Amino acid sequence: MITRIRAASLLLSVICWAGVGPVSLAATDSPLLFVDVAAEAGLEAPTWCGGLEKPHLLESGGTGLALFDYDVDGDLDLFLVNGWRLDRTEIAERGRNLLYRNEGDGLFRDVTERAGVGDDQWGTGVTTGDLDGDRLPDLFVTSFGTDILYRNQGDGTFVPVAESPSVEGWSTGAVFFDSDADGDQDLFVAGYVDATLEEVLFAEPTLVWEGLNVMVGPFGLDGLGNHFFRNLGDGRFEDVTKESGLEDVGLFYSFAVSALDLDGDRDLDLYVTNDSNPNYLYRNNGAGVFEEVGLWSGAALDGMGNAQAGMGMAAGDLDNDGLPDLFVSNFWKDVSTFYRNLGDFIFEDATLELGLRQSTYLPLSWGTTLSDLDHDGGLEIFIANGHIFPQADQAPPSSQTSFRQANVLLLNEGGRFVDVSDRSGPGLEVVESSRGLAVGDIDFDGDLDLAVSNVDAPPTLLRNDSERRGSWLMIDAPEALRVTVETGSRQLIRHRVIAASYVSVNDERFHLGLGKTDRVPKLTLLWPDGSQKVLTDVGVDRVLVFRR
Amino acid sequence: MTKKVSLVVMAIALVALPTMAQKTPEKVVAAYDALANIILDMREAEHDFVVAVLDGHMHGAKMLFKKGDYEGAAAEMALVANEGDNAVGGVRKRLLEGGHHFNAEGEEQGIFEPGYVVVNREAKKKMLAASSALRQAKDDVARKAAWDDFAGVAKPLLAGE
Repeated sequence: MITRIRAASLLLSVICWAGVGPVSLAATDSPLLFVDVAAEAGLEAPTWCGGLEKPHLLESGGTGLALFDYDVDGDLDLFLVNGWRLDRTEIAERGRNLLYRNEGDGLFRDVTERAGVGDDQWGTGVTTGDLDGDRLPDLFVTSFGTDILYRNQGDGTFVPVAESPSVEGWSTGAVFFDSDADGDQDLFVAGYVDATLEEVLFAEPTLVWEGLNVMVGPFGLDGLGNHFFRNLGDGRFEDVTKESGLEDVGLFYSFAVSALDLDGDRDLDLYVTNDSNPNYLYRNNGAGVFEEVGLWSGAALDGMGNAQAGMGMAAGDLDNDGLPDLFVSNFWKDVSTFYRNLGDFIFEDATLELGLRQSTYLPLSWGTTLSDLDHDGGLEIFIANGHIFPQADQAPPSSQTSFRQANVLLLNEGGRFVDVSDRSGPGLEVVESSRGLAVGDIDFDGDLDLAVSNVDAPPTLLRNDSERRGSWLMIDAPEALRVTVETGSRQLIRHRVIAASYVSVNDERFHLGLGKTDRVPKLTLLWPDGSQKVLTDVGVDRVLVFRR
Repeated sequence: MTKKVSLVVMAIALVALPTMAQKTPEKVVAAYDALANIILDMREAEHDFVVAVLDGHMHGAKMLFKKGDYEGAAAEMALVANEGDNAVGGVRKRLLEGGHHFNAEGEEQGIFEPGYVVVNREAKKKMLAASSALRQAKDDVARKAAWDDFAGVAKPLLAGE
C-alpha cells in the first residue's frame, strides 16, 4: 500500500514540480489535494521513539519538528527531533536530531553536522525564537533529559548555550515569547512525566486495555512540573515560574503550549494542553504575571465539564470576530474540542455545532492546525493521528483503531467542517503513527504545505497542490500581533499564534487566503504597543515584509 | 501515616504473639480494632475534608457576588464545580495514581468523574454553566438567575442531600 502511495506521490510531484501545475480536481468534490513528497525531497531518515512493543509511556509521545528559515535565505528549512530506538531493555540506537536545508529546488539537504545541532539525547520537541534580538532564529530542543538551547551564529551554524534553561526529565512543548513587553523573549517549557531511564528500559506493559497488556500511564506515573524562564537580556535566563503565577500546582501532564493574545489586550496569554487533566489557560496582566483562568473561562474542560486527554492544539479566528478560537486534539474515542472565543476570556464548546464530532472521535489526535489551505478565506483543520499502543493492531474490531492511522483533513465550508480526508489526494492516504505537525510554504507558491513527524518512520511532507479558491498574502512581520485585511465585502483577521500544534513549530509568518480578489483595499498590522501600520490598495499573491 | 500505623501494629504483634498461638492476643485484636476505626473513619474524613474545601469556595463565591465582583464569584463557582482548584486536582491525581477511587461504583456508572468525592457529573455541568452565565450576564436579573442556578445545585450537595 505504502509503495503504491509513494509511487503515486512521485508521479504527481514530478508533474507539479516540473511546472505543469496542480492536478485537476474535476472528478472530486474536494478542492484540496496533498501529495507526500518526503522521499523525493530526501527526507528518508526515520525518527525513533523506543521499541516495537513500547512498554513505557515515553515511547508513545513521538517527536516534534520545525519549519523555520535557519539561514535566513528566504525559504523554510526543516528540523526534526529524534528519539532513541530500543531493543527491549537495550539502547539500539541514539537517534540524532536532524536539520535539513531547503535547497529551493524541491530537495532538502542534511546539514546537521555542519550546523552543530545533531544532539543524540532522547529528543521530544522543539521551539524557535530569537533569544538575543539579532533577528536570527535560535533553537530550543526539549528532551527526556536535559533541554538544549542553541544560539544561531548567522553563518549556518549553532552553538549550545552554556547555561541553557532546562526542565530536567521528560519535557514536551515549549514557547519563546515576550511576556512582559521588555523587548526580549522569555521561555515557557512544559513537563510531562517524571521518569528515569532505568524505569523506561525495564518497564512492563501491565495495564490491561481492550484485553491486551499495554503501557501504563499517564495515571500511575508522577507528573513533571512546567517551568517559565525570564530572559535577563544578557544571554541568561532565570527560573521565575512561581512568581510569574505559572506554577504547575497539579503537576498535570502537559504537552502542547502556545502564546497568543486571547482577549485583545495586546499581551500574550498562554494556553497549555494537559493529558487527562484540565487544560491550563493563563491570563497575562501585561507585565509577565499570569493568572490561571482555565476552569471558569470554559477552555479547560469540554462542554460536559470533563477533563480530556489534551494532546495538541491550534488557534485561529474562525468567525472573524477579532478573537482567536482554540482547537484541542484529544485521545481515541473522545472528540477533539473546538472552543469558541466569546471575548473577555469566555469560551464555549462549539464542537458539535461545527460538525467536528464524527471525524475526530475515533482517531487519537496530536499535531493540528487551523490554516486556510485553499485560499477561500476560511480556515481548514488538519490533524495528525496515531495510537500510542502498538497493541492497537491486535485489538478487537469493536475498538475500531490501529497504531498507524490516516490523518484527518476538514474543509471549511461556510463555517461548518466537511471531512475530505478520503478525497484530497495521495498525501492523505499515508498511514503512519503521526505526532508532530509543522505548517509553512516550502515551495514558494503561496499556499501552505504540511510536514508531519511519524513514530519510527520518516516524516511525511505534504505538498499542497490544491485548487486555488482565491489569491493570498504572506506577511513577514515578526513582532506584529495581528493582521486585519478588508477586502470590501469582508474582513479577515489573523493572529500571531506562537508554537501550538504538538511540540512543533510552524512558519511564523501570517498567511491569508483572500478569496477571489486581485487587490486588498486595506491592510492593517497591529503591534503590542498599540501602534498600527495601515496599507491601502495592496496587490495580492505576494510576500510583504515589515521590520521595525 | 500509613507506614507509621503499620509499624505500630507490627511492633505490637511481634511483642504479643506467643510462639505457638492458640488464640489471638487481646492486644493485637485491640490494635486491629483501632486500625479498623481509622480505616472506616478515613472515608468519612475524606468526604468531610472535600466538603470543607467546597464550603470555602462557596463562601467566597457568595461574598464576591455580594460585593459585585462577578468575575471573582464566577471563578469561585467554577472551583466548587471542579471540586477544588488545580492544586486540589493534583492531590486527586495522586490518589488516582495510587488506585484510590472514592466513588468507584459511581465512576463505573458514569455518575462521577474519576476521583471526585462530592460533585457528580451532572452537578458539575450545571454549576459550570451557571459560572459561565454569571460571567456573561449583562444585568442584575441575569446575574441573580445565574446565582440561583448555581446555589440550587451547590447547596444540596454540600448539605449531603
